[in-house]
Amino acid sequence: NIPESGHKYYLQFSTENYRTGENAGNCLATVLYPKKKSPPVVSIKCSHTKDQKEIQEEDNRVYQRIRHQSKPITGNNIPDSYGKIEPALEPVWALAVAGSSSIMWEKSTETLGYFLAQVKSVRQWIRKDDFIEFDYTVLLHEIPTQEIISCHMRLTWLPGHPLKVKHFCAAESHGVDEGSGAESGSAAGPATEKGANF
Amino acid sequence: MPETLQQVQHLQLLCSTLMLDLWKPLLPEDIRAGEDLHIRVPAPLVQEVKDSLDKLMISYRVLIPDVQKLVDQSMPRERSSHRQVSGGYVYTEYHPMEEIYQWMTQIQKNNSELVTQHFLGMTFENRTMYYLQISQPSNKPKKIIWMDCGIHAREWISPAFCQWFVKEILQNYKTDPNISRFLQNLDLYVLPVLNIDGYIYSWEEDRLWRKSRSPYENGNCYGTDLNRNFNSSWGSVGVSFDCNSDVFCGLGPESEPETRAVAQFIKSKKNDILCYLTIHSYGQLILTPYGSTNKPPSNNEELMQVAKEAAAALTGKYGTSYRVGSTASILYSNSGSSRDWAHTIGIPLSYTFELRDTGTHGFVLPADQIQPTCEETMLAVTTIIDYVDK
Repeated sequence: NIPESGHKYYLQFSTENYRTGENAGNCLATVLYPKKKSPPVVSIKCSHTKDQKEIQEEDNRVYQRIRHQSKPITGNNIPDSYGKIEPALEPVWALAVAGSSSIMWEKSTETLGYFLAQVKSVRQWIRKDDFIEFDYTVLLHEIPTQEIISCHMRLTWLPGHPLKVKHFCAAESHGVDEGSGAESGSAAGPATEKGANF
Repeated sequence: MPETLQQVQHLQLLCSTLMLDLWKPLLPEDIRAGEDLHIRVPAPLVQEVKDSLDKLMISYRVLIPDVQKLVDQSMPRERSSHRQVSGGYVYTEYHPMEEIYQWMTQIQKNNSELVTQHFLGMTFENRTMYYLQISQPSNKPKKIIWMDCGIHAREWISPAFCQWFVKEILQNYKTDPNISRFLQNLDLYVLPVLNIDGYIYSWEEDRLWRKSRSPYENGNCYGTDLNRNFNSSWGSVGVSFDCNSDVFCGLGPESEPETRAVAQFIKSKKNDILCYLTIHSYGQLILTPYGSTNKPPSNNEELMQVAKEAAAALTGKYGTSYRVGSTASILYSNSGSSRDWAHTIGIPLSYTFELRDTGTHGFVLPADQIQPTCEETMLAVTTIIDYVDK
């Protein structure tokens, strides 16, 4: 607690691969929430267990899996009610995880946190260039309110480039789409990464 | 691989006599000396084929020991491998309420010497709430362990655990010395689904529904968060008075029929209940009282000690790590929780479990994690029961 200035947190944490649970590196960070409401000031330094080359190769694999599909990809309820993800939709889910993390980065506050609960729907837009583009409706689980927030997310990506995310979250939770919440943003991805790492 | 013409002829005879399934080549007449031969042999004939090949001095190698297993593994998950069958019921799948009702009836029928199904109350939408009592007949008065699951509709792994727990006890009480020991002194009361209306709604309409289904404001919004509706500092913190909110605490403590059904029953037995367990997901936590205040409960050391042992037992199984502490300190503030209420009316060991995972799948935990989750949680719960037994 820094009187007059706000609250400063010192964090030490490890990261893990979202899919496999393997350790992906450790980070040291400080987060300062200033007294007046504004985005926190963050400084962070991470070590990676994989080198750039491995990361690039994995990104390329995800990219190729998506590019090689013959029709534009669409899907609903990923994972389904039983927690299952269609193998063909797995890379699409992985992109949703990465993309929604940028929404969560922007929405989180000192007292509000998020998890990705489910991808409600996804639709691919075919582009003339090499970028892949998706429209998502993602459902975020908000703590501690326990609300489910529905967000629309437009995501564009090419390996080697930061993930581009535009989002718009409904103000009301749970299927009631009021749409008066005025949040849209685009994020270039975490500052320390060169490309999205799945 | 046949080397000589004679061996080829013998093999051709063997294949046609036994009607073996040739995979390479496809027809007996295409069998050639010096060329590999692949045959799928049905299980009952394996020994006979091996003996014949030995007699013919033809060398062979088993490429696939169990073809059926491979086929099962490559099938979509629905009803393939990992069947945990107990009288036909598959405990490694999620079940809709209809099936859980049937399961309760079957469980009582198949284990009538130990299990009785009891009426607890009615839900808002007029569905019957039943709990199962597991009680070894004896003239000794017994103390009670209560466990409820499914107070929040979307936490499907919770009812799955209650069902698994019952199955484990019933399958092993005769052979497991631990279980038979504590059943001499303790009765187990299990409520597999507390929020039945909500659970059904999460199957039929909205997988991520949390609350009950009672309407408010003329049907403008539905549901009370049953875990904010109990009479423990009701309405004070971590709640909303807006019926749209997922933590809407109702119009007053115990305003909901489901809450009243549970509270009335537990009150009536409170002198005999030594332990209250309520199962949720997700987060991998064992939570102690309280949520509404940072002031520790009177027996905090005991609560923490036992919880830590339980968490350690759990972690020992698959390495899953759980955190232990009061709701107010490691989660967030909330009032009106069933666990807090149970402790304040005098039940000494009251815990909330938050099962797997920590957010990767959250509420939508894949069915293939039901088994490991239930196995590890079983160890934690039996640790607590063992402690109570002493």
